[in-house]
Amino acid sequence: MNHTLSILLQNEAGALVRVAGLFAARGYNIDTLTVAATLDPAVSRLTLSLQCDDIALTQILQQTRKLVDVLQVAHPATALAA
Amino acid sequence: MSGILFVNAQPLKNELETHCHALAGQPMSGADVIVQVFADEGVNVLFGYSGGAILPVYDAVFRYNAMHLKDNGDESMPLIVPANEQGAGFMAAGYARASGNVGVAVVTSGPGATNMVTPVRDSMADSIPLVVICGQVASSSIGSDAFQEAPISNIMGACAKHVFLVTDASQLEATLRTAFTLARSGRPGPVVVDVPKDVQNAALSFDGKGELALAGYRSRLHAVEQAVLSDAECAAFFSALMRARRPLIYAGGGVVAASAAPALRAFVDTFGLPVTTTLMGLGAFDTTDPLALHMLGMHGTAYANYAVEDCDFVFTLGARFDDRVAGVPHLFAPRAKFIAQLDIDPAEIGKVKPVQWHHVGPLARALERLTAYGRTHDLRPSLDAWRAQVAQLKATHAMNYDRDSALIQPYAVLQAINRHTDGRAIISTGVGQHQMWAAQYFDFRAPRHWLTSGSMGTMGFGLPAAIGAQFAHRDKLVIDIDGDASIRMNIGELETVTTYALPVKVVVLNNVGDGMVRQWQKLFFKGRFAASDKSLHKKDFVLAAQADGFAWAQRLERKEELEATIAAFLAFEGPAFLEVMIDPDAGVYPMVGPGASYAQMITGDFIASRHAPISQETAASEMF
Repeated sequence: MNHTLSILLQNEAGALVRVAGLFAARGYNIDTLTVAATLDPAVSRLTLSLQCDDIALTQILQQTRKLVDVLQVAHPATALAA
Repeated sequence: MSGILFVNAQPLKNELETHCHALAGQPMSGADVIVQVFADEGVNVLFGYSGGAILPVYDAVFRYNAMHLKDNGDESMPLIVPANEQGAGFMAAGYARASGNVGVAVVTSGPGATNMVTPVRDSMADSIPLVVICGQVASSSIGSDAFQEAPISNIMGACAKHVFLVTDASQLEATLRTAFTLARSGRPGPVVVDVPKDVQNAALSFDGKGELALAGYRSRLHAVEQAVLSDAECAAFFSALMRARRPLIYAGGGVVAASAAPALRAFVDTFGLPVTTTLMGLGAFDTTDPLALHMLGMHGTAYANYAVEDCDFVFTLGARFDDRVAGVPHLFAPRAKFIAQLDIDPAEIGKVKPVQWHHVGPLARALERLTAYGRTHDLRPSLDAWRAQVAQLKATHAMNYDRDSALIQPYAVLQAINRHTDGRAIISTGVGQHQMWAAQYFDFRAPRHWLTSGSMGTMGFGLPAAIGAQFAHRDKLVIDIDGDASIRMNIGELETVTTYALPVKVVVLNNVGDGMVRQWQKLFFKGRFAASDKSLHKKDFVLAAQADGFAWAQRLERKEELEATIAAFLAFEGPAFLEVMIDPDAGVYPMVGPGASYAQMITGDFIASRHAPISQETAASEMF
């Protein structure tokens, strides 16, 4: 099913590439991707959507949290449902 | 003289905690900052190859060593030069694996850095802490296709735990210090710092403290490191364990990385569970112990794999159900009603196989907590019947081979060496049949004695890893068990052994080709030996070793000379090279084929099987 993730990451050189690279390396296809500044210029918000099942979603959330530049990974749908 | 600015690391450590660094406020070049942070981090050996974009750092190392000779006249931070940067990376990795400290490699830009990709990926896959400094072209030239330029932050970003490209010289010192923290914290791994040449030459002021904030990483790390098992979690664990009749511990490389072997020993001494380890976990539990089942998996012992088939409870410690252990995850430990998993990495929980109980946190503390809880509540599972069954499995399905063959059997060679070393030597390997035979036939009494490329399976790992390990333990016996194909990959490092007068022992089990590939071609490709036969290759390994300065280099071809030759080889005080012409048809058994379950294990002609293997009809092209 379709999932949307909201990722806060440090605005470092190469940070976007690392998130995109992780998804590519682990075989997840990104459907949409938006990167925008936040009120804190050192932090960017990356919003992406992808198709995957719940088990794959859990794994991709965990793997994304291993990226050193990533501050926070949220899955708004889970938060709303909870 | 800027060399005078350096201060040795050891006296500083205490000072750092209470006072500011003795060199705080001193002017230093970026290169001097790098070397001083190395010293502060306790680095006592560097591995690397020079080149234009790293010259300022090499000069700083030279000056540091000139100013800091040890009492015996040795350099305090020797820079070990390989034949190829890949060798330097595997030396740093071998040093890290054998010592538990961060291994450090320093290479130049472009090809120097790209030659380092394989050791970095290898270390990532096996969770080995490295810090790799790569020179980079000047900041103003980045992106201009400059001489020896490569996009290292892109390339390494996909392979390493983390990569920094230092674009702001004022951040260099904090970045370097952070790289060490990242490499050794949580699940360890390699960290690459790409340093443009102008940053190395920048005029800086040394702070002597400070790291990058990395708020996200640090908060997640803090949560994991502070995690404590609650009483309820301990109760749930023991409730399942006390109901189990046949519980088994499945221990991986995480036990070694976490220095949790003593905690595992105490747990086993208290509750009496048998232990099987992964390839990476060898040494986490004394393999000579009656409760040790040695290695499980694709080429695990038959008795370990049968115990996995029989067990009704699995306690997974720092292991990840990878495809060489759980080729078919839902058929792994099919009778286990309860699987518990301890790991430092939250992403490993449930990644491959669902578990009934888990805890994410430091392994040693979690094991100690469980042991204390079980003791306090007097929870001792009665495992006499299961332990007897395990002993029976070990006796009935013991490792064995063709002892009557006129040809030298590789297993006999390793057993003969093992009789001398008794599980106390450091053993490194290449990748292939010889690696699996070494894993199966050597004893390991303690962690960090077994250095092998587990996850990546990198041929050519063994020789440079042995060199690195010898630098970590100058007085220990270090043996590289290699294959004729694997050693060719980094054979230039034979010269490195003699250049530094390292007493490394090199064994080449020569079966004239890529033995493991041939084994698969026999099994799955009707014996068509595409590109795996090396009978036309001309290399005389003994002459090659002699040419590289090995005073002791011999070829063993006659079975009756085996014992005496090995005794002389191991007794030689300096570097020694032994080529053994082995039975080219010797196979690795047992074998659980790719995509097969343990019930389909083939044990070969000399190891007793419990039942005729279930025939397996699969498309060979789909397997790896």
